[in-house]
Amino acid sequence: MREIMYREALREAIDEEMQRNSDVFIIGEGIAERGGSYKVTEGLLAKYGPRRVRDTPIAEAGMIGVGVGAAIAGARPIVEILYVDFAMLGMDMLVNQAAKFRLMTGGDGRVPFVMRTQGGAGGGVAAQHSQSLEALFYHIPGLKVVMPSAPADAKGLLKYALRQDDPVMFLEHKHLYMTKGPVPEGEHIVEFGKADIKRPGRDVTVIAWSNMVPRALEAAAALAEEGIEAEVVDPRTLVPLDTETILASVARTNRVVIVQEAVRRGGVASDIASIIQEEAFYELDAPIEIVAGLNIPIPFNLELEKASVPQKDDVIRAARRALHIQPMAIAAK
Amino acid sequence: MAEAILVPQVGQDLTEAKIVALHVKLGDKVKKGDLVAEVESEKASFEVEAFAEGTVIHLPYKLGDIATVLAPLLLLGEPGEAVADARDAAPAVVGPTAAMPVAPQSAPGDGILRSSPLARRLAARNGLDLRRFAGSGPKGAIIRRDIETRMAAPAFGTAALAFRGLKAGTGDPVVFIHGFGSDLSSWRPFLSHLTLANPMQGLDLPAHGASPPLDDADFESTVAHVAQALTEQGLDNVHLVGHSLGAAVAAAITLHGKPRVRSLTLIAPAGLGPRIDGDFIAGFLAAQSEAALSLWLGGLFHDRASLPQAMIRATLAARADGQLAAGQKRAAARLFEGSTQLFSIREALALYAGPCRVIVGIEDAIIPAAQATGLPGHVALHRLAGVGHLPQVEAAPLVGRLVMETVRAAG
Repeated sequence: MREIMYREALREAIDEEMQRNSDVFIIGEGIAERGGSYKVTEGLLAKYGPRRVRDTPIAEAGMIGVGVGAAIAGARPIVEILYVDFAMLGMDMLVNQAAKFRLMTGGDGRVPFVMRTQGGAGGGVAAQHSQSLEALFYHIPGLKVVMPSAPADAKGLLKYALRQDDPVMFLEHKHLYMTKGPVPEGEHIVEFGKADIKRPGRDVTVIAWSNMVPRALEAAAALAEEGIEAEVVDPRTLVPLDTETILASVARTNRVVIVQEAVRRGGVASDIASIIQEEAFYELDAPIEIVAGLNIPIPFNLELEKASVPQKDDVIRAARRALHIQPMAIAAK
Repeated sequence: MAEAILVPQVGQDLTEAKIVALHVKLGDKVKKGDLVAEVESEKASFEVEAFAEGTVIHLPYKLGDIATVLAPLLLLGEPGEAVADARDAAPAVVGPTAAMPVAPQSAPGDGILRSSPLARRLAARNGLDLRRFAGSGPKGAIIRRDIETRMAAPAFGTAALAFRGLKAGTGDPVVFIHGFGSDLSSWRPFLSHLTLANPMQGLDLPAHGASPPLDDADFESTVAHVAQALTEQGLDNVHLVGHSLGAAVAAAITLHGKPRVRSLTLIAPAGLGPRIDGDFIAGFLAAQSEAALSLWLGGLFHDRASLPQAMIRATLAARADGQLAAGQKRAAARLFEGSTQLFSIREALALYAGPCRVIVGIEDAIIPAAQATGLPGHVALHRLAGVGHLPQVEAAPLVGRLVMETVRAAG
């Protein structure tokens, strides 16, 4: 299969869906004439014209409001927010309007709205441009939360997002745009709520999403050299969450490490851990390990930035703890 | 119901012991493991621990009294429970190891049994008692691999073996393995002949003393079980001293690689030839009365008069546990066929490279001394005249010296 970049896979999904359905349009800062800060929307303006590919002022509250309103009116908007940090300006539209509208109209009103944005640390863009805020959206019933880690998932999930009728928080990662992977051409759909086992293994289940998936896979490769087979499970969508696949994996391995880039406190990892202990307590041979970001704003200094979010060795150490193996090999490094 | 803590067997040739310390008085509450008394024989003193919880409701001896071995030292019951009731109730007579803790604790120190949820579920599903496990997880927690190790071992029963520290010390421990029908307490009188600095431990073979029976265990699976139990006890380097069946087990453990056996002293070992007195085994196992038992036990000695009364009483007391007696019968059926021993330690001896001595009594009526011929050249053979199947009793000082020489030869 051909390999393309994550950002190209996203562009392919938008392109195919805009072609397929004239209700789909996209707005955002610099996405039309400049092709987007991460080049996701490059070429779309020329193909679909300024009515469907539209630059906006720097006004996130207004952009999100326009998007939610358009979705209620029957269109299928994609609103690109440059950093997830900036989405905070539109929280009322997301939390109090988009997430509630379906219930408050007795199911008659739907909000087929997609907010595409990106988060995560990387490159020293400091505290206001590096956060992982999925837990805020995860907490709000009515919002779908999607976090693709691989190009094929990015394409398939975005296409699915543009065909379903509820508000979707489509959270990309700034580190992933340039990563490459095999992506099917043409029709490729990944339904929400279907986790993907990125690497099978029998000894420990490592649950990770977004940019933590490649990091977990690196850790799994290193663990394999010691004879430890880690199973890397990528939920792909946090809402809805594929608990079935997660619990089946736990039943096979009996040990769990959950890796999230977001700060430890109040994170999605804690919630997944609580689900596992509730549903599979008697499958557990060790306490569930959570590897997460520190409870601090992301520092600007690159070394401190690195120290504030989980690295490969953190995952390896947690896996070894879950297997009751003394961390000698790592300490010697 | 009241439970009796017995005056310990202070030596196979001794029937009485002096009470040199009493740590409890009537009405005291004791916990399992509490030190309740110290008794003394001519050769050594022994601490007596409570093996159960309760209130002291009967205390027949006072400080300085001469007590009868294996008679009740005290009775434990409910507060206010009348002694008469306790006496009427069938005394919960336990074996001569009654005053000894039974199973290895999984978390030494704080007494909390730690285990993972999965370990608990697996144990429940397989009918395993977690208290019988030595956990390998954090803080001694029992985890999946502990259960799986036990389950994976072929023909293993479900329980660990009883160990008992016989003497503290430094260096690699000397572990004593008793013969068929006996238990670890039988070594106590012999220990006074040893002046080694090494720590000393005894273990009870399956279906003996405080160790539960192994289901359907032949010689090999018994040896594997003992080897694993030693390893689980953290006994990685050991000197082994065995008697009769225990000597055969000790020799065969050297084939296992773990634990590492630093030296081997084999007293009247089984497994050197096919012959054993099958009538003795059958008669010994069937004997129910003191009279019958003393006739069979007398056969262990060159001089029948040297059979200690305490040995008869200890064996009878152990027989009160029907499960153990039945376990010994089943074990015998897998180890011996009539007068034939179904196992051999010749290969183990040929391969063993450490210091090794075989000590036999020429007058041994149970296992003929004549079978101890043709041993590998590196194995020393000591043939003791005027001695039967129990050289460690009938020639205790000499056998003690030989054990010490063997241990020291390992360096």
